[in-house]
Amino acid sequence: MNIYQYDKSKEWFQRAVKVIPCGVYGHFSPAPYAPVEAYPFFSDKAEGARFWDVDGNEFIDYMCAYGPMVLGYHHPEVEAAFQKQISISDANTVASPRMVELAEFLCEMIPVADWAFFARNGADVTNMAVMVARAATGRDKIIAIKGGYHGTSPWMQAPGHHGTIADDHDHLFRIPWNDLEALDRILAEHGSQIAAFMASPFHHPIFEDNALPADGYWQQVVDKMHENGSVVIVDDVRAGFRLHMGGSNEHYGFKPDMIAFSKAIANGHALSALVGTDDLKVDAAKVFHTGSFWYCAGSFAAALACLNILKAEDGPARMRMLGEKLTGGLRDLASSHGYTMIVSGEPALPYLRLADDETLMLQQAWCGECTRRGAFFTSHHNWFLSTAHTEDDIEKTLQIADEAFKAVKKQFGS
Amino acid sequence: MIDQLKSRLNLKAVLRNLEVLPALDPVSAELISDWNISLRFSVWRDTQVVLDFHDGRCVFHSDSKESTSVNLFFSSPAHLNNMFENQASPLPLKGFTKLGFLKKEFSQLIGRLEYFLKPAAETVQDEAFKKVNLALSLNTAVFAIPELMKLDPVSRRIAPQFSAGSLQFSVDPDGPHAHIIFDGQSRAVAFPGPAVNPTAMTVFKNSEVAQALVAGTLDSFAAVATADIQLRGMIPLIDHSNVILDRLPLYLQ
Ligand SMILES: Cc1ncc(COP(=O)(O)O)c(C=O)c1O
Repeated sequence: MNIYQYDKSKEWFQRAVKVIPCGVYGHFSPAPYAPVEAYPFFSDKAEGARFWDVDGNEFIDYMCAYGPMVLGYHHPEVEAAFQKQISISDANTVASPRMVELAEFLCEMIPVADWAFFARNGADVTNMAVMVARAATGRDKIIAIKGGYHGTSPWMQAPGHHGTIADDHDHLFRIPWNDLEALDRILAEHGSQIAAFMASPFHHPIFEDNALPADGYWQQVVDKMHENGSVVIVDDVRAGFRLHMGGSNEHYGFKPDMIAFSKAIANGHALSALVGTDDLKVDAAKVFHTGSFWYCAGSFAAALACLNILKAEDGPARMRMLGEKLTGGLRDLASSHGYTMIVSGEPALPYLRLADDETLMLQQAWCGECTRRGAFFTSHHNWFLSTAHTEDDIEKTLQIADEAFKAVKKQFGS
Repeated sequence: MIDQLKSRLNLKAVLRNLEVLPALDPVSAELISDWNISLRFSVWRDTQVVLDFHDGRCVFHSDSKESTSVNLFFSSPAHLNNMFENQASPLPLKGFTKLGFLKKEFSQLIGRLEYFLKPAAETVQDEAFKKVNLALSLNTAVFAIPELMKLDPVSRRIAPQFSAGSLQFSVDPDGPHAHIIFDGQSRAVAFPGPAVNPTAMTVFKNSEVAQALVAGTLDSFAAVATADIQLRGMIPLIDHSNVILDRLPLYLQ
């Protein structure tokens, strides 16, 4: 099997780091890629479930642009809808009818949604949700989950990290996932100040096993928060439209007051949405939150096409099936090599970890060996399936994984 | 608080290097070869450390209760910090007969530490010098982390985010190494040398890379991308530690 080299990626990185802080920053930064030599940094071509790096290496892509790609890169119908829209209007001085159509569509498809508000990135709408909750309750404080990610606004960041100040976290409580007692304690002490509880539908931290909601967890959260006069926000930016077309909360059987979506909503076109119940519509109207590109119409058209296709093809069921095939296959393969693969989270966006090494170094080495043979796996973050992945892709991935297990066995022993 | 943290860094991150210096520097090894003496440095109402010299070695104890042959007392953290800047002397509480030793032999040993850690402009920085400088600089940084976690306001906010585990810093191919063990409850302890089964590792490809980082001339982001600095294992331990290390120059030059 061909072992990839990344000379051109490295050259581009050397150019990048001269003119861009960090060279490649944020979630694309090479820092969590260990070993970094196993990963490409730049790509100019993507199609279906694959991308090609600037050295021409081909990858079956299990990160899906960290979530936005859900139907495959360059999906013909989504691209046609996008092109058609931008050929008539994209940036404009007044709003696009496509925005209204998309809001109607979301209100029809998502049981919780009586209204929809649009922006570009996930954090635009997680921030909007918090502002709406504060406006609606007249309270300051937010409860979130330890290790939960909602974007990079200062209050969402890890305390103490560069560019944040102590006050940024003054109105935030972080409690462990699935811990109702911790929630009770915060409510008992600070109940009258709590505007909202915000969490992803299941817990998907990085560098850690993911965790599903315990039986009854979410319903109890909803009941306790409502009893306290507080708002429940689901951050479905990552999982949205991969578990259920009506919002991931439908998959788990509960109803929050607002849901934040982005990533998969428009198959890679820049869009996010906040939807909510009627009770919050007036408060949402009162909050001022906007951006120069939030009205660009191409993304609305792309989202309409993307969501229609996902719905018609039952995308979530397909991604679950593919995810189960992939993770089941990898689990069996690991065990045939004498390793134990722990699969957590949801099959459509699973997190995998070799249990034989608490430090993750074995997992990192194995993901690196898979990547440099053409199956792009990160070791710190959940992966993503798309409807464009095929059973043949998974078969090929398992062959790559098999070779990778042999390679790490040589390196680490069994 | 700044003086308090500085004094703890002076004792527990800088002075602690006397533990490893003799193994690196033949002049220091020769100096202490026949010492049989233990020195306590205590700061009033704060911290204290012991340097125990025997059999040609120096053993460092933090907050030890053992009795020592000499007790050096500092009336405040600022008093101790002034001594480190050569502007004050301690008050010996015990061991008056050893004053000569302190003034002469011990001062010479401290002189060696300064020679390597705060080189004068005219110091010839040859390979041997650089090797010791790197080892001491690495230790100082790693030893500083637990103290910063206790008293630096930013590091205190980072401290609860460390899960339990150990982080090793290594320079390939032959060291130096130093490591730090986090207890998962906002506390840590640091040690020279490699860890047993580290949970995370920061490995410098060679001493030139590590020296460039110490000198502040390395683009560490580029170095990570080119694998000149390799990160492995539980990378959050590394991320959090790096933020804390960025605070060190505020207290130690
Ligand atoms: C759960 C979750 N919320 C919010 C965000 C922030 O989205 P964005 O990066 O588009 O602002 C992300 C991004 O990864 C996410 O995964």
